[in-house]
Amino acid sequence: MVDSNHETSIYRKDVNQLDVREREKLLKPYLPTKPLIVTKRPKHQPIRMFLKIQLHFVVFTAMHMLFSLYIRFRQAFHIILDRIFALLYYHHRAPELIRQDIRGLERLPQHLSVILEMKQEERGLAGLEKLLDDVAEISAWCAGAGIPTLSVYERTGTLKDHIERTHRVVSSKLHSYFGPHVPTLQIQAPHIPSFLDGDQSGRASSSAGHLSVLLLSEGDGRATLVDLTKTLAEMSQRNKLSADDISLDLIDAEISESVMAEPDLLILFGPYVKLQGYPPWQVRLTEIYHSQDNCGVGYQVFLRALYNFAKAQMKFGR
Amino acid sequence: MHLSQLRRWILQSPPVEWAILQLRELLIGALRQGPIPQHVAFVMDGNRRFAKNHRIETVEGHNLGFEALARVLEVCYKSGVKVVTVYAFSIENFKRSKYEVDGLMDMAKVKLAQLLQHGDLLDRYGVSIRVLGQRELIKPDLLADIDRATKMTSRNGNAILNVCFPYTSQDEITTAIRNTVVDYSKPLPVQQRTFSESHIKHTLRSRHLSVAAERIRERSRSPSSRGASDIEDSTSSSATLHPDSPPEDTMMSGKEVDVSEEASPNLYPDPESITSQVLNDHMYTAGLPPLELLIRTSGVERLSDFMLWQSHENTEIVFLKCLWPEFDLWQFLPVLVEWQWRRKKEEEQDRGVRSAEGSIIRAKAS
Repeated sequence: MVDSNHETSIYRKDVNQLDVREREKLLKPYLPTKPLIVTKRPKHQPIRMFLKIQLHFVVFTAMHMLFSLYIRFRQAFHIILDRIFALLYYHHRAPELIRQDIRGLERLPQHLSVILEMKQEERGLAGLEKLLDDVAEISAWCAGAGIPTLSVYERTGTLKDHIERTHRVVSSKLHSYFGPHVPTLQIQAPHIPSFLDGDQSGRASSSAGHLSVLLLSEGDGRATLVDLTKTLAEMSQRNKLSADDISLDLIDAEISESVMAEPDLLILFGPYVKLQGYPPWQVRLTEIYHSQDNCGVGYQVFLRALYNFAKAQMKFGR
Repeated sequence: MHLSQLRRWILQSPPVEWAILQLRELLIGALRQGPIPQHVAFVMDGNRRFAKNHRIETVEGHNLGFEALARVLEVCYKSGVKVVTVYAFSIENFKRSKYEVDGLMDMAKVKLAQLLQHGDLLDRYGVSIRVLGQRELIKPDLLADIDRATKMTSRNGNAILNVCFPYTSQDEITTAIRNTVVDYSKPLPVQQRTFSESHIKHTLRSRHLSVAAERIRERSRSPSSRGASDIEDSTSSSATLHPDSPPEDTMMSGKEVDVSEEASPNLYPDPESITSQVLNDHMYTAGLPPLELLIRTSGVERLSDFMLWQSHENTEIVFLKCLWPEFDLWQFLPVLVEWQWRRKKEEEQDRGVRSAEGSIIRAKAS
């Protein structure tokens, strides 16, 4: 209980009314001991200092042992929880089921973003295979849920190198989900011409909706801002622009134009939150979802993120 | 009600208070045995909700939040964190009710005045205070106080407290870009050199003449052996001689070339030399260790325009459910221990990868 009457009464009395000494008394418990004493102590009491360090080390070890025990339990708990969720909610490759799962939600993100990771140990073809499959699955869920824009961030940019293949894999996955009523699909990446439905554009019915997938990599983060700065510096050197013209709105317009606008929801499929170089400008107000201790892409994580998003109230500022 | 009063009575009785203090010291001392993040940032969210929950005034909620900050700073600096950055006031916050904004500003003023009065007490922390943000938005009287406090603590070198006030990260990035552009639009200083251009040109011309004469002599000896390369040579030499042989060019663009040369064409720094490091050095946090841990309280899972540039790479971001005034060592400790645990695991993994690579190399070698 922080709001003890004692403190409250002090606050009610205007803080200014306290004199210096009274205030120092209030502050005392929060101040460290005088550094002078601390620095002199080892000279006078080396044994005591040594014992203190030993004690600290023992406590440190005990703390970490307890923690590793705790985290084992936590991880196990989350694995079981995830399993239960996965059993309760499964899409069965049916868009109708996905639609039913999200029916109660008051709002949906219009732009969903995910961070995927290529596993260190399975670099190469197997890793790419897995990555493509994940992208395809998430795309299908988005199409099923009616989320029109999906951006996929993968640090190394492997997906961007295989944009055509990504399109092939995703559209075949969409076929397996949607059957004949496949939504139109557009795959694009910043600074690379977009890849619209090639052969199937005739067949796809426009009524089934449209999904555009944006592939991002590390280069779309800081490097883009650096590029913009270079261009602006060059323009300024040629007197085509004065430094006062550089405003937040200008940068925002340029960055959203060349990379993407701010996503509404960012889902991480890793065990904790680390943005791995995700475009910094655009995560300003993005809701960041991760499922603790989770590893890997799963439908239940996607669904829980959507639920979480719908409950969260949007507050500008803080 | 009685129970909570009893609890409070027990917690505030001298022996228990002493024991808790000792326990805190012990735990913080123990934390120091492992790796500690060098730079931690806090989004102090939840003061208003706390005030609402406990039916106290919003401004009082902020006051309690300030107390929590004092507690957390103590934990941070004692455990060895070098830089703490806190989000005190967003530029967006100016949109809130005038009453609350004024209250917050008054609080900042009061706290600063107190800081100024207790300069010697603050020195014990060895903390220097910096205020990051758009200074133009701060009222002049408050700004003067801020400058005084900054100056007074600037000698302290143990740790740094960055107060973001009024701050948004996009504004910071914009400012950094603008300042970089301004830096790169300044002409480089012209240095007085001891060599004169005309003299070098003269030397060059005489050398070329002698080389040409040599070549003519050679060509007369073996006219067909190296025709192609000769043509190349002659073109290149004519290019070098270009400034000295203007007659062909003056008609077209010689004047312009001359003018632009006078007005220093290459005297700007090369924009291609701008890197993310250059931008980094123009952020408010230039020169500080990289942000390693960002904590946001009150369960909102958003960065809300805070430290976007600094936190989007390797920073571990932690969202906590508790409200900021409730935040203390007991909430902070698990976060720090988990952070230490993860570092240890990463280290092990690195070692594992390295040893695996080593064994592969060894296998290939044998």
